[in-house]
Amino acid sequence: MTALDQTGKAAAPRFRLRPALLVPIAAVGFAALIGLGLIALIGVPVGDAIAAFIDGTVGSAYSIAASINRSIAFALVGFGFVLANRANLTNVGGEGQIAVGGIAATAVALDGHVSGLPLGLAFILPMLAGVVAGALWGAIAAIMKIKAGTNEVISTLLLSFIGVWLLYWCVQSPALLRKPMTSSATLPESLEIPEETKLPLLTGDYSFPLHIGLPIAIVIAVVIAVVLSKTILGLRLRAVGLNPVAANRAGISYARTVIFALAAAGGLGGLAGALMLLGEQYTLKDGFSSGYGFDGLVAGLLARGSVTGVIAAALLFGFMRSGGINMEMVAEVPTALVVVIQGLIVITLAGAALFIERWERK
Amino acid sequence: MSTTSGIETASVEPLLSLEAITKRFGSFAALSDVSLELRPGEIHCILGENGAGKSTLCNLIFGVHRPDGGAMRFRGVPFQPSGPADALGHGIAMVHQHFSLVPDMTVVDNVLLGRERGVLNRRQCAAQLEKLAVDYGLPLDPDAKIEDLSVGERQRVEIVKCLIRDPSLFVLDEPTAVLLPDEIAALLDVCRRVASSGRAVVLVTHKLAEIKKIADRVTVLRGGRVVATSATPAADIDALVRAMIQGNVEALDSSAASVLGLAPVPRARRDRSAIVKTEALQIDGLTVRDSQGVTRLDNFTLTVDRGEIVGVAGVEGNGQSELTAVLSGMMAATEGRIHLGEAELTGLAPKAITAAGIGIVPEDRHAVGCVTGMSLAENIYLNRLDEFTRFGFLKRSALQREAAAMMQRFDVRARGPAATFSSLSGGNQQKAVLAREITLPNLTCLVAAQPTRGLDVGAVAAVYDHIRAASARGVAILLVSSELDELLSVADRIVVLYRGRIMGACAADPARREDIGAMMAGHAQEHVQGNVHA
Repeated sequence: MTALDQTGKAAAPRFRLRPALLVPIAAVGFAALIGLGLIALIGVPVGDAIAAFIDGTVGSAYSIAASINRSIAFALVGFGFVLANRANLTNVGGEGQIAVGGIAATAVALDGHVSGLPLGLAFILPMLAGVVAGALWGAIAAIMKIKAGTNEVISTLLLSFIGVWLLYWCVQSPALLRKPMTSSATLPESLEIPEETKLPLLTGDYSFPLHIGLPIAIVIAVVIAVVLSKTILGLRLRAVGLNPVAANRAGISYARTVIFALAAAGGLGGLAGALMLLGEQYTLKDGFSSGYGFDGLVAGLLARGSVTGVIAAALLFGFMRSGGINMEMVAEVPTALVVVIQGLIVITLAGAALFIERWERK
Repeated sequence: MSTTSGIETASVEPLLSLEAITKRFGSFAALSDVSLELRPGEIHCILGENGAGKSTLCNLIFGVHRPDGGAMRFRGVPFQPSGPADALGHGIAMVHQHFSLVPDMTVVDNVLLGRERGVLNRRQCAAQLEKLAVDYGLPLDPDAKIEDLSVGERQRVEIVKCLIRDPSLFVLDEPTAVLLPDEIAALLDVCRRVASSGRAVVLVTHKLAEIKKIADRVTVLRGGRVVATSATPAADIDALVRAMIQGNVEALDSSAASVLGLAPVPRARRDRSAIVKTEALQIDGLTVRDSQGVTRLDNFTLTVDRGEIVGVAGVEGNGQSELTAVLSGMMAATEGRIHLGEAELTGLAPKAITAAGIGIVPEDRHAVGCVTGMSLAENIYLNRLDEFTRFGFLKRSALQREAAAMMQRFDVRARGPAATFSSLSGGNQQKAVLAREITLPNLTCLVAAQPTRGLDVGAVAAVYDHIRAASARGVAILLVSSELDELLSVADRIVVLYRGRIMGACAADPARREDIGAMMAGHAQEHVQGNVHA
C-alpha cells in the first residue's frame, strides 16, 4: 500500500518558465505588432497611438484604478462562466445578467429608505439586489433547460437581448427609472444614486478610484477556486458535467445542479452589473452593459476552466479597454480599429492556448 | 508450438504479410513485434482476450491506425494504407463489431451508400445482391428496411456491403458476439464460402468453439504479442487456450470457462439452501412504450426470492435495456409496479431506489455506470460521496483510504485510488462498478446487466464470485445477459425475453439449452415443449 500512497498524490507543481507562460506573451506581442501596423497604415502616427495607450493604462494612478475596476466586471462574469462550465454549461448571457443586475441595483439604491441605512447596508443592499436579479435571470435558462431541454447557449444569449432592452425600457420610461422630465432635453437615464449607496473607495481619494469591489472580487475568486477543487459541490458539478446520466444514477440531482450552476453564474453577472453601477457609473443609462458581458465571456473561455486564468484574462481586457478608449480619444485611432486589434489579441491567445495544450500532451 | 503449415498452403503466396509490426498509444504498446501472414483461401482466426491487441491489429490492416514500427506487404508490395478508403481501394473490407447502417433506409440503399456517385442504380444493385445471396448463402430482401431486420440480418447487410466490393481480404471483428446460436452457425458457413472463393478471411474472436469449427490457422495474441500460432487449431486447442490466458484450463472457474467455450456448462447450482422463499423483488405487469408508442417491454411479471439468482435471457434489444432502466429509476414505466419486499418502488428516482437497497450494474458501463473523467475513488463512492464531507468540504484522504481498501477487497487493479477511471482496463472498471453497487449498506437486490461483457477470463470469474457471494448472503439477484452459457452456469432460473415479452421460463439446466435458444428466437414455450415432446 505504500507504493500506492506515493503515486496517489500529485507531485507538487514547481514554478518554471514554461511555454504556458511565454507563448501567450508572445501571442499578445505578435497581435499588438499587427495592430500597430494597421494603425500606421491608416496614417495615425504610431508613436502617438502607443503613448495614448500607455497613458490610458498605466499613465496615472487614475487610469490604473479605472482599468482594474473594469477588470473586476470582466473577472466576475468570467468566474461565473468557469463555474457553470464545470457542469458543462455554457453561459453566454453575461450581458443580460449585467443589465438586470444594474437595473435592480439602481432601483434599490434610488429607494428613499435605503440610503439612510447604517453599517454599509446602503450599498450592500443594492449590490445584493443585483446578485439576486442576475441569479434569477440565469435560473430562467436553467429551468428552460430542465423542463424543455432548451440549449442554454441559445436561451442565455436570447435572455441577454431581453435584459438589454429591458434596461432601455427602464431608462426611457418615466414610470420606471427615468429621472423626472423637467424639459424635452432630459436625457433618457436614471437619477444619480445617492452618495451613501455608492461603493466606498479603498483610499477615499477620487484620483485613485479603486473601490471595494476589488476585495469582494478577490474573496469570490478564492471561494470559487476552493468550491471547484475542494468541496463536494465542485465534485457534483464535475460529475454532472462529465456524465449527467451516470451522475443522476448515482443520486446527484441533475436539475438542482443545473439550476445552481446557471443561477450562480447569473448572480456573478448581476454582481458585476451592480458594481459597475454603484462603483463607477452612478446613473443607469442606455448602453450601460456596453459589451462587458461578452468580454467577460471571452475571459472565461480563454481561461479554460482556471480561476487564475480568468483573473489574468480579465486584467488584460480591463487594461486593453482603458488603453483603447484613450487611443480613440487622444490619438484618434478609429473605434473600429481598436476593436479589431482587441479581436486579434483574443484570436492569437486562443491559438496560443491550443498550442500549449498540444505541447503539454507531448 | 508453431506447427508448420501443410504443403498446400505453404506454396501459396501470402496476400498480406505483417512484419514485426509495433503500435504504441502513448507509452502503452498495444502491439509489439507482431508478424503474421494471411493467405488467399484461408480462414485465419485471431484469438485473444480483451485488450490483447486484436482490434488494434484490425485497425492497422484497415488503415485506421498506422504502425510505429515494422512493415506490411500486400501482394508482395509495401503497403501503408492512408485510411480506410485506401484499404478498401486495395480490396480490404472489414465488418466492425458495431454496425453502421441507416435504420430507416432499405437494404439496397444502405449497400449503395458511399459507393455510387450521381445516379443510383438500384436495380443493378438488387441483382448483385441476389447473386451474392446464391453464392454465399446470404438471403436478404433488398427492399426491406434495416429497422425491421433482426440483428443477424443486419449483420448480413454489413457483410454484403463488403462482399459487393469484391474484396480479396475480408476482416470480421468479433462478429458473433451479438448473434443467436443458429445465426452463428450460418455466419461461419458464410465465412467458409467466402474463403473457398479464394479470398482471405480474418476472424477475430475470443470464443474457442468457433475456432475449433472453422479456423484453418490461428494466431494467439496476449498483451500485444504473438504468443502462439497453429495450423492445426482443432488439435492444439488446449495449448492455444493456455497461451491466451497464460494459465491452466483446469484452474479456471468452471462457469467462466464455459462462457469461453472451453468446458461444458456446469449444472448450475450447488447449494440452494440460501434461497429463502421470501419475495424480495416483485415486478408486476411492467410495460414500457417509447415516445413513438412502440411497446418495448410488454407486461413483464417476475418475482425474485431472497438468495435467488434469476437470469433474463434474450438477444440484445428485446427489452432488456428498458427493464434495467426502469428498475434503476432512469426510465418511467408506462404501466406496472415494482416492489422490494413491502416497499413500493414504482416511479422512484435513482437516489431513492439506491436508498431502498437495489444495486444496479448497468449494461452500458460508460454511459450509466461511471464518470470516466473522474478518479477511481470518486467513482467507487459516486453514490455515497455525502459520507465523505465535512461542512461541504470533501475529505479526500478518507475517500482515498476507503477506496484503496475497496480496491484490495475487489481486486481492482489501478495505479491508485486517484487514478483517472478511464485509465483502468474494462475488467477493472467493471469490478469497481460492481464493488460500488454490491457494497451498498442495505443491499437486498442486485440487478446486473451484461456484467461480464468485454471482460477477460479472470475478471469474469471474479464477477461471478461476487455475485454468488451476494446471493449466499440472501441478496436477490436479477442477472440480465445475452450469453446463454453465463446464465446457465450462474443462475437458478431463467426467463427469456423476446420483443419485450417473457416467452417462457425454466430452470437453468444445460439440458434445456435448445428450448431456451428457441424461445430466444421467438418461439413460445408451449410450442417449444410441443416440439420436444413430439
